[in-house]
Amino acid sequence: MPHNEEQDAEALMSRRKMMGVVVGVINLGLIAVVGLPVAEFVTSPLQTKRKKVWVELMPDDQIAPGEVKEVNFSMKIVDGYHETERKYTVYVRRDEAGVMAIDPACTHLGCRVRYQTDKHRFVCPCHGGVFNDDGTNKSGPPPKPLERHPVKVENGKIWVEREV
Amino acid sequence: MSRKTYEPKEAPTLSPEVRVDQPREASKAERVEIDRPSFKDWMDLRLGWYGFVRKNLDEPMPPGVGWWQTLGNLLMTLLIFQFVTGFALAMFYTPSAEGAHASVKHITYEVGAGTFVRGLHVWGSTVIVIVTALHLLRVFFWGSYKKPRELTWIVGVIIFQIILGFSFTGYLLPWDQKAYWATVVGTRIAATIPVVGHMMLVLIRGGEEVGALTLTRFFSLHVMLLPASLLVVAGLHMFLVRKHHIAGPVVPQKGKPVPFYPDQLFKDAIVLVVGVGLLVYLAVGLPPSLEAIADPTGTDFSPRPEWYFLGLYELLKIMPTGFEVVATAIIPGLITIGMFALPWLDRSKSRHPGKRQWVIMMGMAVILLIGLLTLKGLLDTPPEHKKAPTNVEAMR
Ligand code: HEM
Ligand code: FES
Repeated sequence: MPHNEEQDAEALMSRRKMMGVVVGVINLGLIAVVGLPVAEFVTSPLQTKRKKVWVELMPDDQIAPGEVKEVNFSMKIVDGYHETERKYTVYVRRDEAGVMAIDPACTHLGCRVRYQTDKHRFVCPCHGGVFNDDGTNKSGPPPKPLERHPVKVENGKIWVEREV
Repeated sequence: MSRKTYEPKEAPTLSPEVRVDQPREASKAERVEIDRPSFKDWMDLRLGWYGFVRKNLDEPMPPGVGWWQTLGNLLMTLLIFQFVTGFALAMFYTPSAEGAHASVKHITYEVGAGTFVRGLHVWGSTVIVIVTALHLLRVFFWGSYKKPRELTWIVGVIIFQIILGFSFTGYLLPWDQKAYWATVVGTRIAATIPVVGHMMLVLIRGGEEVGALTLTRFFSLHVMLLPASLLVVAGLHMFLVRKHHIAGPVVPQKGKPVPFYPDQLFKDAIVLVVGVGLLVYLAVGLPPSLEAIADPTGTDFSPRPEWYFLGLYELLKIMPTGFEVVATAIIPGLITIGMFALPWLDRSKSRHPGKRQWVIMMGMAVILLIGLLTLKGLLDTPPEHKKAPTNVEAMR
């Protein structure tokens, strides 16, 4: 059969097109093989469920009405592969209504607020946020009151509930 | 059997070498040295580097190009310094919450030349941010981002983001108080974004709180993803700079372009001596410090970011309640979008600053805003800014 150059060239072009598509599909597959597992791996912290635990803070009789105390406590947390004893700070406040546990993380951007005993208020060192001694906003940029954690008094001890 | 050559109809640009049955003609070097080439020629026959080196040394510099065009080269050198010192630091550094602080302490006080190597890396990051800003500003004022260099500019903006990413992730690695608290606050910025904020926070931190997983996450970004990306985009940047050549002064000056070598190369070298000299001076004169180990308890530490994020930090102070997202996302986001879109925002044909007053004014306003806020941040370091208590052994 005589050679037809035109037909040869056409055949080559359609082979190019077809195989090009196949190679494209293979490449997509390759990207998926490495990309999908890595994406799940990297975003896995989003799946982590937190659970609530009660932690003992201090004896109930060591805080008088009107007082605010900074209390350090530690709890076991799972941080990646290791379980660690992690330390936290919470402000415990007592008034006529009972005790409350106020989180020291400023609701603006998370700097730790300090309690000024003489002025009965919390101040944030970062952008000047100020809170009343019950954690409600007084002035400055923080958008919300300081977070309160559930507390209970049991067996003469004050307990706080935290998420781990 | 004779093979037919393929002649595509639509794409007739296959170069002669590609054709199967037409051997490439031997080059001059091949003809002369084909039997016993010198080592250099032997290499050139395989690499073809003579042409490459020649081309780059002969790169035409329009008249008026001078000291301002040396900053890019300085940046490149500083980045190589970061690669080398970073590689060395990684040999002694341990990316874990238990080991990081101790390993950085070891590097700083015990490893041979450790203070200096760490000093080069720490100060290098600061100098790079300054030089990047200068380089970017010179390109901005010269209007060099205009056609055909839009892509060069865009790739440059990406490089700038990557450099800030390096600073942010690197800052946490020593795992001391300063590092820890700057990261607690810095990552919270993500949480101010409506709807997806909390998800982003968890993704960045690797969990709800800054902890061991944040450290390994930042480490991985700092030594794997960011360097690899930077290598690719910086290579692309250089390719584009060469392809489109340096733009001359905004008002073309009389005279013929001169080759890059020797005059411009020599200026580059002088600037390298000054820039690297400054870096060495800082590394020796102000050796890097290390504060107490990160401690999530306690309320008496005032977090402060690295100085080049101070502008943002001050902006947050003056934002009224409920508008923090304006400072954390909207203003920085608009500035970033503006930078990417600059070649299209500025539609004037001329690169002359007088012919694009609007853009120049906007640029000045942004520079002034960042400058003033940074200055304010530098000036009012809170008086109660105390060092962390050193007695607490947290995160064990
Ligand atoms: C890793 C960081 C960088 C390196 C190593 C680098 C390197 C260079 C070099 C060597 C040049 C030629 C000489 C000069 O004009 O200084 C250049 C030009 C240029 N750079 Fe960069 N650069 C970097 C970052 C940036 C950034 C952040 C931008 C802008 C956002 C940028 C935009 C440009 C543009 C548009 C030019 C062309 C200037 C002209 O033609 O006059 N570069 N760069
Ligand atoms: S973090 Fe407290 S005011 Fe900004």
